[in-house]
Amino acid sequence: MPQVRIVARNFMDMVASLPALKLDKLYENSFICEAILRSLPSLAKKYVLQLLYIDGPVTAKWLEEWVLPDGVSKHKAAVDRLVQLRILTETVERKKEATYLFNSTFQRNLQKHIVHGGVLPRESMPSNITVRLPSLEELDAYAVQQWEFFLLHLINSAEAEKSTNISSSMMKVFQRGLLSQRDDKEPPKLTESGFQFLLMDTNAQLWYIVREYISNCEEVGVDTADLISFLLELSFHVTGKAYNLNTLSDRQRSITKDLADLGLVKLQQGRKESWFIPTKLATNLSISLADSTSRKQGFVVVETNFRMYAYSTSKLHCEILRLFSRIEYQLPNLIVCAINKESLYKAFQNGITADQASIATLHNGKIHLFFFQTCKMQIISFLQQNAHPRVAERTPTVPENVTDQMRLWESDLNRVEMVPAHFYDEFPSKDVFEAACDFAREYGGLLWENPKKMRIVVKAEIFTQMKEFLRKQKQ
Amino acid sequence: MSDKGRPSKKFKYSKEEHRASSAADDNSHFADDLDDDLRDGEGKKRDFSKLELKPDHLNRPLWACADGRIFLETFSPLYKQAYDFLIAIAEPVCRPESMHEYNLTPHSLYAAVSVGLETETIISVLNKLSKTKLPKEMIDFIHSSTANYGKVKLVLKKNKYLVESPFPEARYLTCSIPGVNGNLGCLFFIYYIKPMVASGIKKGVNGSDGFTVGKSAGEIEGTHEDLLNEAELAAAAEEKETHSFEIDPAQVENVKQRCLPNALNYPMLEEYDFRNDSVNPDLDMELKPHAQPRPYQEKSLSKMFGNGRARSGIIVLPCGAGKSLVGVSAASRIKKSCLCLATNAVSVDQWAFQFKLWSTIKEEQICRFTSDSKERFRGNAGVVVTTYNMIAFGGKRSEEAEKIIEEIRNREWGLLLMDEVHVVPAHMFRKVISLTKSHCKLGLTATLVREDERITDLNFLIGPKLYEANWLDLVKGGFIANVQCAEVWCPMTKEFFAEYLKKENSKKKQALYVMNPNKFRACEFLIRFHEQQRGDKIIVFADNLFALTEYAMKLRKPMIYGATSHPERTKILEAFKTSRDVNTVFLSKVGDNSIDIPEANVIIQISSHAGSRRQEAQRLGRILRAKGKPQDRVAGGKEEYNAFFYSLVSTDTQEMYYSTKRQQFLIDQGYSFKVITSLPPADTGPELSYHRLDDQLALLGKVLSAGDDAVGLEQLEEDADDIALQKARRYAGSMSAMSGASGMVYMEYSTGKKLHGKMKSKPKDPAKRHQLFKKRFG
Repeated sequence: MPQVRIVARNFMDMVASLPALKLDKLYENSFICEAILRSLPSLAKKYVLQLLYIDGPVTAKWLEEWVLPDGVSKHKAAVDRLVQLRILTETVERKKEATYLFNSTFQRNLQKHIVHGGVLPRESMPSNITVRLPSLEELDAYAVQQWEFFLLHLINSAEAEKSTNISSSMMKVFQRGLLSQRDDKEPPKLTESGFQFLLMDTNAQLWYIVREYISNCEEVGVDTADLISFLLELSFHVTGKAYNLNTLSDRQRSITKDLADLGLVKLQQGRKESWFIPTKLATNLSISLADSTSRKQGFVVVETNFRMYAYSTSKLHCEILRLFSRIEYQLPNLIVCAINKESLYKAFQNGITADQASIATLHNGKIHLFFFQTCKMQIISFLQQNAHPRVAERTPTVPENVTDQMRLWESDLNRVEMVPAHFYDEFPSKDVFEAACDFAREYGGLLWENPKKMRIVVKAEIFTQMKEFLRKQKQ
Repeated sequence: MSDKGRPSKKFKYSKEEHRASSAADDNSHFADDLDDDLRDGEGKKRDFSKLELKPDHLNRPLWACADGRIFLETFSPLYKQAYDFLIAIAEPVCRPESMHEYNLTPHSLYAAVSVGLETETIISVLNKLSKTKLPKEMIDFIHSSTANYGKVKLVLKKNKYLVESPFPEARYLTCSIPGVNGNLGCLFFIYYIKPMVASGIKKGVNGSDGFTVGKSAGEIEGTHEDLLNEAELAAAAEEKETHSFEIDPAQVENVKQRCLPNALNYPMLEEYDFRNDSVNPDLDMELKPHAQPRPYQEKSLSKMFGNGRARSGIIVLPCGAGKSLVGVSAASRIKKSCLCLATNAVSVDQWAFQFKLWSTIKEEQICRFTSDSKERFRGNAGVVVTTYNMIAFGGKRSEEAEKIIEEIRNREWGLLLMDEVHVVPAHMFRKVISLTKSHCKLGLTATLVREDERITDLNFLIGPKLYEANWLDLVKGGFIANVQCAEVWCPMTKEFFAEYLKKENSKKKQALYVMNPNKFRACEFLIRFHEQQRGDKIIVFADNLFALTEYAMKLRKPMIYGATSHPERTKILEAFKTSRDVNTVFLSKVGDNSIDIPEANVIIQISSHAGSRRQEAQRLGRILRAKGKPQDRVAGGKEEYNAFFYSLVSTDTQEMYYSTKRQQFLIDQGYSFKVITSLPPADTGPELSYHRLDDQLALLGKVLSAGDDAVGLEQLEEDADDIALQKARRYAGSMSAMSGASGMVYMEYSTGKKLHGKMKSKPKDPAKRHQLFKKRFG
């Protein structure tokens, strides 16, 4: 099975790829139904609501009548998604056309949810018990700080000062695929995936880590449905409100501790009670990336002279920028770097392989191709996404000559084609040499010849034929 | 036999010259290397993140680092004020759109003090603008750098150079400077130990007095004897003392150099109180009413005349931004005789024209002094426009020229106006400055960079940099053209590249990559496109004479190079300016500087002088003069870009490396080069030359069969940049280059040979050499 590399999908994509049984079990929770509904493409959302009170199967033809001719592709995508999530099941009866049946658990739960509204299993705590709750800004800062701190640990940066609560075995799990270590003496290096990981935005990084967290639980043998439904449930809590830890099961409490290390919740201890406060990171979990419009403010200014100014105090940013540029000055709230050929080559070395695509098979048997961006594109899109508001309005946000040059530098690397080959020397006679040349040429394997010194270079792929031929010549 | 011997001797001689000059340069080169290290060194990352941010840092525009680096946000509301301040106290490193970088150096602080800023003002303003608390190191640095600045003045009075200081303690300070007993210190000590009242009675004491004091101060060597031409002692007669003494005009430069920050650290101020100068006759000239200096021209003039006096120094404005108006304005404010120096005869004509255009000076009061026209002004004051060469020329002159030179020498000039100061070699300056006596010197240039880093010499030869305009701001203001720069990558054809790689062709490398048929086709394509589609006027630059002639002949366009006579040049340029049929002109590097062709708006550069940043900027300058209506030129206007600069490079050759180097200056000014990889478009066929392989091979044969000397570089005498470039090249060169067997050195050998026929007798004394040879060896 091909290895699935990091790609910026979201939490809901992962939910969609769960096996049928698990999905059905998840749908028993009405919050999950709502989360799924939210995550759907808008046309699919409409279909769900339109079909919500229809019992029994509907024909595909009937559905198709809803759309105008130019909306067919959107329609198909919406239906595919619904089938993929098992909200609709497709049956093709003989002679008749395809029909769709609404998932009854999902339907029932969503109907209930719409009529009665969602009630969280726990209420937020009254403010007389939780004396001083952090303000939303403080909470945001806390979440960002925790997350950054976690990432610094993740990439084994020397800049990480404190030690983290996350167990080293757990950390190893997260680092799987992101870091590689040739031997024990060398410090682990970022892999291509790790490199791309760091350039992704926070939501994408978060979902990757959460996914790893879930699959780790799976490996240990814990049922992940609980975990997933708890995480989704969490995303329906109100940011900044306190919730009593007593309302959680033991297992959920231990999960909460881990989440606190990642910055998803903040734990606080009162005189008698203790509680957790979800941060933005937690409530954003169920938002799919495609519609996460609330982008955080950028901080990078790239100039035409390949200098880069990053308005940031973050050590993590510094580490990220170091991946592809040379840091020249660090000021209290500014990092000054220069992009040059050498620094980019360093980045390319970490990143680029010949094969830029890999295939992931999804549970319903359909093959989806994910094209991975090359590092250069990663760098450019990172720079574009994080452009400082001063330069964000100008087009292009990153000067054209810089992006062009980056592309040229990259293509420079691909100018040399490597062909495995063999070098033949010391031919016994001119005749043998010429015969060998002709032979190799015939097979299309002659790469270079020097008649004066009687030397040739032949592609490795015809090595056996060449060997056979030369053996015959000797006789 | 002697035919062979002589040139080779000359060759050696010139090599020695090279070596001598490079040895003299070693120090500055070393410093430069260090600087490069700082810029490039990986390990030199500087962490100043511990500096304390002020709470209202968002409203302040800059960061200041302990090592002297300053970062300025251009989008700050205080940008304009901060820029004016920084440009006065610091050296700009790069000035792209959003963030500028500056370096605080002793020289830049010297310049700051000389335009009247005081130490405390510098620190407090810097502190006000800074987002962080100023690092202590920076404050200390400013203090220590400026402590002695402005205490010593150099004045010209009654044709005598006097060093003055109103601070009697200055001499004691001098004593406490380490090394004061050494050679450097001694000189200064002697000067200072003999105070006199400036207005006092002169009493000539020939040297002897100076020596006794000097000897008592330390060991004095005989070499100082000549430095002290005439020491004068006078009794203190008034209560307000100004210590002063006279120095030998020939030693002025020396004394100034030794007073610079890196030596004695008593940089001298040069100011000219022209209003109270009753000795020199006034020149009746005013700016004409239509001459309205632009804001930045006004600003640069205000730096020069800040306190009602005229300061010596350099004003840096981009080409086409109106340097000549600044020069003429300065001359009309001082209203004394003015000596204006230009680099060549064409630009002498242009300067004379500018004087007449902008000022009310009478026709007979302005005169040109060149090898072709020897005019003399009437009356007791006037403007003389001439070239550096004419003044510095050491050989025999015609009787008439000798008379004029004598007049120039004996006159006390109110203003010495020097154009294109970046091109002139330091030794030429020395000569010019020691020959002419002027109260105030104003240098004008667009590009204060030289590959040999002799730029710092200008600090003591002329004075500190008074003002430097920001290129991008001028573009935004519509004062200079908005140029689209592009680097066109032309792949070498297979055949040319094969020859290029051969060792035996090392001397023809340049010719091979310049004559690359793909480059030719790209050039032809661009010329056609701009001539036919846009109706532009195009200049094509080629340093390589062989290529210049080949290209120009093949494309049937006029060309100008070193040997083109003055009348012919004028004729071609006139046709280019006025005729509808002449839209393209080919120029060798004679066209780099100061030839004013305002009509041109496209430059195609097919070959260039190695990695010279200055040449690149100067060539760009040929099309910077703003064209069209101002409202069309601004961002988003009809013609946002109406000037084009193409640099054609053959990929995989040395040119690529040089090209990156060359662009550095412009990139630091905020220009960006777009790389174009597909010119001419793939579908162009035989309509462009060298489409067929046969033609290409014929061209290749032509290049290969041409003599090595024919395909080399053009040598011009003003080209001191060569030395450093060649040196730089040698480090990275092949064996043949390292042995000196390739390129320009060889060229000198063969030009010598060519000229041999005209040489009558072997000159013994270099000073008496024939003019032609003087140029080669000077």
